[in-house]
Amino acid sequence: MATVQFKKIVKKFGDNLVLNGVDVEIKDHEFVVIVGPSGCGKTTLLRMLAGLEEITDGEIFIDNLLVNELHPSKREIAMVFQDYALYPHMTVEQNMNFALRLRKMDKAEIAGRVKEAANILQLNKFLERMPKQLSGGQRQRVAIGRAIVRKPKVFLFDEPLSNLDAKLREEMRVEIAKLYQRLNATILYVTHDQVEAMTLAGRIVIMNHGIVQQVGSPIEVYRKPVNLFVAGFIGSPTMNFLSGRLKLENGTAVFFNKFITMPIPAFVLPQSEAQDGREVVLGVRPDDVLVERPGGEKCSGKIEGVLEVCELLGHRENLYLKVGGQRVLATVEAFFNRSPGSAVSLCFNYQNMHVFDKATEQRISE
Amino acid sequence: MEILKSIYEVAWFILLIAGGVAVLEGYLYSHFKFYRKPLFEVSALIVFPLLGLLALKTFGLAAPGSYSWLAVSEVLILLFFRFAVKGRHTVPFMLLAPAFVGLALLLVYPFVFEVYLSFHDLKLTTIMMWKNTGTLPFAGISQYVKVFTTSPLSEITFWALLGRTLVWTFSNVFFHVTGGFILALMLNNQIRFKGIYRTLLVIPWAMPQVVAVLAMRGEFHATNGFVNIIITKLLDTLPFLGSLGVAPVQWLSDYPLLTCTLINVWLGIPFMMVVILGGLQSISSSYYDAADIDGASYLQKLRYITLPLIRPVLMPAVTLGTVWTFNNINVIYLVTGQAGGTEQADILVSALYKAAFTYNRYSYSAAFAIVVFAMLFFFSVFYLKTFDAAKDER
Repeated sequence: MATVQFKKIVKKFGDNLVLNGVDVEIKDHEFVVIVGPSGCGKTTLLRMLAGLEEITDGEIFIDNLLVNELHPSKREIAMVFQDYALYPHMTVEQNMNFALRLRKMDKAEIAGRVKEAANILQLNKFLERMPKQLSGGQRQRVAIGRAIVRKPKVFLFDEPLSNLDAKLREEMRVEIAKLYQRLNATILYVTHDQVEAMTLAGRIVIMNHGIVQQVGSPIEVYRKPVNLFVAGFIGSPTMNFLSGRLKLENGTAVFFNKFITMPIPAFVLPQSEAQDGREVVLGVRPDDVLVERPGGEKCSGKIEGVLEVCELLGHRENLYLKVGGQRVLATVEAFFNRSPGSAVSLCFNYQNMHVFDKATEQRISE
Repeated sequence: MEILKSIYEVAWFILLIAGGVAVLEGYLYSHFKFYRKPLFEVSALIVFPLLGLLALKTFGLAAPGSYSWLAVSEVLILLFFRFAVKGRHTVPFMLLAPAFVGLALLLVYPFVFEVYLSFHDLKLTTIMMWKNTGTLPFAGISQYVKVFTTSPLSEITFWALLGRTLVWTFSNVFFHVTGGFILALMLNNQIRFKGIYRTLLVIPWAMPQVVAVLAMRGEFHATNGFVNIIITKLLDTLPFLGSLGVAPVQWLSDYPLLTCTLINVWLGIPFMMVVILGGLQSISSSYYDAADIDGASYLQKLRYITLPLIRPVLMPAVTLGTVWTFNNINVIYLVTGQAGGTEQADILVSALYKAAFTYNRYSYSAAFAIVVFAMLFFFSVFYLKTFDAAKDER
């Protein structure tokens, strides 16, 4: 197992800057998920680590060894592809031991490793089958098995679950989590699905426009997003954003826009004196919008709104509210027995409120 | 004025075909419409054979007994409409009928006639008898025996011809596939002016084969051909080549089969190249990524990824190429077949052509053609069987 370091990685396709100075360090035995919207450069970063993509500038180290010029097979990595890339004309067994056969490894050793991997992934029954004869989930497992038998230093997963249907994706997510516990390997996992990122990762790297936005544990990026992009990307349903301006009244900052006016307490936004007149965006997760409930002292005052649409999810319910012209999404316990169009009162939980500067999009609250 | 006459003739021919199609459709339509009416059936039985006879007479094709044949087929058609078609599928039948009849006239009739000929004896001495009486002496399988025992040309035997044909076919297909594969691999890379190369490389295939072959034949001319001129110039600048045995030769008379092979290889490579290039482009690049990570070298990728994955497109192309080369009379005949030409380059089909139209042994040639047909037929069936089996494996 090994560490991985990206130092000032730059990637250009022609004039198109895909990655702009990525600095990430991955520790031994760590499960790191790189997450971001399509086109943010996450897969390119992974392919550069694998050696499938040239590095325009910067350095990549695996176990403190500079691998920029090293052939993919010499980097001791294994990769699981989005479309699995199982060789269609080889059986499951041949697919799994292809790399070992190319290395001219001892036959008994090859058989042993394939058997071990097949045991872990419950593929014993399928070793003689062709990839065509397997279901999507089984193919996925073969692709992982092909990585395991090589005993690599680093496992790379490139959106491995995106070709599976929703139910299977959940199952495989658990499988991968279990696999990680068992192998205790260094894993770099790329996905655009923030749920996978939150559930699997030891640490999340959030990327956008070729730049690392935030690195941190799932709970950190959820609780303390450093900028608007991270705040909006992590968490489902998406965070509510209220644009407005701050003014100083009796020593406390007050947020106001056309529809909502509320004080921002000092434990959310310290140094309120400096904030007078600043344009900001407030971020509140739907869970922290309290509807028709007595707000405690850590909540804002009552705000009157109108219920537009209810979405029942089972144990939770999404409420689409409107305060004047401002849309607010709230998630509450089921069942919220009100018909659309009725007036409701809501308040915001200050404890999980985020304040971002509108111009820089950076977090300014605690 | 000559040109006007030709246009006239072509226009007549088109009108004739259009008229034929119209008559056919009208005939079918009446059956679809009235197949249940007893009155129609009676009148159809009288009218259609009479009209058919009239048509045959107009074109001078009528023979004794024509009317009864036409009447019998009309009875069969009426029964077919009454009990099998029952007025269903009108549009499909009517749309398919012209093509079906055309195929029958162009393929089925000649084939049946060829089988008939192969069991009789039609040659220069019996052709007048056939013309006067319409009958031929029955020959049983003696024509087939002769195919294997006598020479279709002046001396070479069937077996020697077969051997030469196999050598010709395999050497040609081998070079087509390897040449096409190498070119396709080169074109599959990111190179500049790819479109131009591809167009240039496809030209031999896009040109009419007769034109291409005759042009190439000129280039192999002993004194004025491009090939010998180049060799002479090379010898002038690099005299040591002469000691290695390089010298201008009489390509057409001394090495006719080699010349034909060179020309046909040049002609056949583009097709294979296009097919293989298509196959290569359909291979997902992630297989190569995976193989890179697995540590496969260039040749190993070729061996374990590229070849197995283009097999599904390559194998049908190879079969087609084999059949085409086996049957390739164009190149052999155009290069060597003219008056006074050599027999050293003849393969089965070109010998067959000469036996029929130079030596006028029609029935013998018919039997010969059926033997060649049988060989190719079994080759194709065997091949398709193995290919299907290979496909099922995946």
